[in-house]
Amino acid sequence: MQITINKPGVLSTVQDMGRWEYLSQAVPISGPMDSLSARIANIALGNNKDAPIIEFTYSVAEFNVDAPVLIAYAGEGAVLKCGNKLLPPNRPLFIPGGQTITLQNNGNGSRTYLAIAGGFDVPVILGSCSTYLPATIGGMDGRALRAGDVLKGKDIFTALNQVLIAHLSGDVIAFRKWSVSKQALGLNHTNTIRVISGPESSWFDQASVNTLFNTAFTISLQSNRMGYRLEGPKMQRINSSELLSTAVTMGTIQVTGIGDLILLMADCQTTGGYPRIAQVASVDLPLCGQLKPSDQIFFKEISRAEAEMLYIEQEQNLQKAKAALNARFL
Amino acid sequence: MQTLREYYPHLAVYPLSENTITLQFGTSISADILSQVTKVNQLIQEKPFLGFITTVPAYSTLTVYYDPLQLFKSKLDGLHGFQKLSNYLLSLPVPDYQSAETNKPPVIIPIYYGGDHGPDLDEVATMHNMSDDAVINLHSAATYTVYMIGFVPGFAYLGGMDKALASPRKATPRTAVPAGSVGIAGEQTGVYPLQTPGGWQIIGRTPLSMFDVTRNQPSLLKAGDLVKFEAITESEFKYYQTI
Repeated sequence: MQITINKPGVLSTVQDMGRWEYLSQAVPISGPMDSLSARIANIALGNNKDAPIIEFTYSVAEFNVDAPVLIAYAGEGAVLKCGNKLLPPNRPLFIPGGQTITLQNNGNGSRTYLAIAGGFDVPVILGSCSTYLPATIGGMDGRALRAGDVLKGKDIFTALNQVLIAHLSGDVIAFRKWSVSKQALGLNHTNTIRVISGPESSWFDQASVNTLFNTAFTISLQSNRMGYRLEGPKMQRINSSELLSTAVTMGTIQVTGIGDLILLMADCQTTGGYPRIAQVASVDLPLCGQLKPSDQIFFKEISRAEAEMLYIEQEQNLQKAKAALNARFL
Repeated sequence: MQTLREYYPHLAVYPLSENTITLQFGTSISADILSQVTKVNQLIQEKPFLGFITTVPAYSTLTVYYDPLQLFKSKLDGLHGFQKLSNYLLSLPVPDYQSAETNKPPVIIPIYYGGDHGPDLDEVATMHNMSDDAVINLHSAATYTVYMIGFVPGFAYLGGMDKALASPRKATPRTAVPAGSVGIAGEQTGVYPLQTPGGWQIIGRTPLSMFDVTRNQPSLLKAGDLVKFEAITESEFKYYQTI
C-alpha cells in the first residue's frame, strides 16, 4: 500500500509515538502534537501503537491513492474528502486505486492524523520514526513532506489489519457506521486546559498565579511544534533566583525573563532554564496540540494525583476501544 | 549499605509531570554535585525498575521518565505513581564506591581557531588586549568538564573556561552558525552541534561531528566527560573532514 503526496499543506511530517531513548543527549521526544488522535487513527485500523502516521497541519493538503489502501484518520484539523464524498474519521476506510483525497478545513482544530494499514514505512532513526526538523532526523529524510513524495506502508499486517482489509476490499470506497468513539475517550471540545502546579510556581506572586487561572491567554503567531508563546498578563516574580537548566517536557509552562508564558510542545528541548510555573495534565496535551494562533485558552488547576488518575483512565479507555474492535472483527 | 535518602540527606524530590520525577541534589554548579548526579544516574540505569523509560541529567538534577501505567500496576509502596517511585528511589541502596568515570582521560576536540571558521577571534582578542595566539593558548590549555547535555542534540554545557576569556554575546545574533563552531558567551564556552542561529562569539571550529545519528552514542560528549581543545592547522582541519 502507498500514497503519493500531491499537496503537502502547511506542514506535514511522519511521526510515531516519539523518540525516548536519547533525551540525555538532548534529542527531543517529538511525536504527534495530538497523540490521542494519532493513536485513535492507528487503533481504528488495528495497527500497533507505534505504527508511523502522517501529521497534517490545517487543511489544503491532498494525496493520491494509486492502488487500493486501507487508511484511517483522526484529529481536528480537517476532514477527508474524495471528490464530494465525505470520508468519516475514526474508522477504517477502504479506498480503491485511482482516487484523489483532499483535506478540507473543518474549522475545529489544526492537526489531522493519517494512518495506513501496517504503518508508513520510514527508517527508524535513534529508535523512532518521528520527524525532528531542527536536526533533520526521522520521518522522510528528516524533512517535511513535499509534493511527489511516495509514502509506502509496511507490508507486515496485524491480524486485525488483514480482517479489515478482507472485510472492506472491493471496487468502491467502503467504510462502516462503526467508529472509535472519541467522546468515550474523554476528549471534549474545550479551551480549558487542566494543569498541575509547576516546580517553581512559588517563585511568582499570588496575584500572578490567580491571573493564570482566571484570565484567557492567546496562542501567539510565534508558535510551532517546539512550543507556543502565550499572550496575556505577565507573571510577576517574588524572588530573583536563577534556575539552573533542568529538565522540561511537553506541557511544561515556562515563564520568560519578562514574564511571558511559553507552553512547551512535542519538539521542545529536553532542558530549560526558565522557571516552570505549571505543567499541563497529560490528558489535556492533545487539546493543546489542536490549538492554533489566536485561539484563546484558560488554565484550571487540578492535583497531580487527579491528573495521574485521568491519565490512567484514558489509557484504560484506549485499551477498551482496542479490545472492542478486536472483539468485533477477530 | 546506606539508602539514597541516607546517603544524600539534602536530596529534594519533586514531580514535573505524571511521567517524570526529579531528584534535586543542590542549587549550584559544582563538580561535587555533578558526581552525585552521575553516580545516581548510573545506579538507576543499572537497576531499572518496571516502567523505567530514561533519565535526563542536568546541572544539579536528575529527572527520571517512567510509564505511569506500569507504576500504577506495580506493587511498590505508595498511593500514586509519584509516591511509589519516590519511595522506591529514596530507598535504593547506594554502594560506597567512587565512580570509575572520574579517572577517565579527556575527550580531545581538535579546533581550527580563527580565519573563516572563527570570525570573532580578533574581536575577542582585542576585547581582552590579547594576541589571537594568547586567546588560543588560554582556550586550549584548560581541561573542561561536561556538566550536562541540553539546548539542542549533542550540545555540551562546559565548565572550566579561563575567566580571562569571558566575553559578552554578539549584539546581533547570527542567523546561521555552522555546525562545529566553537563559541564563547559570558563565562561559558561550547561547540554548536548543528547549524542554528546563535549569538556566541565564534573563535574556531572543529571538524568533528558533535552529533551524528549513525554513531552508537550520537552525542560525542556526555555529562561527566572531561574535554580538551587542541589547536590544529587548516590542512589538518581538511584532513579530519575527509575521515
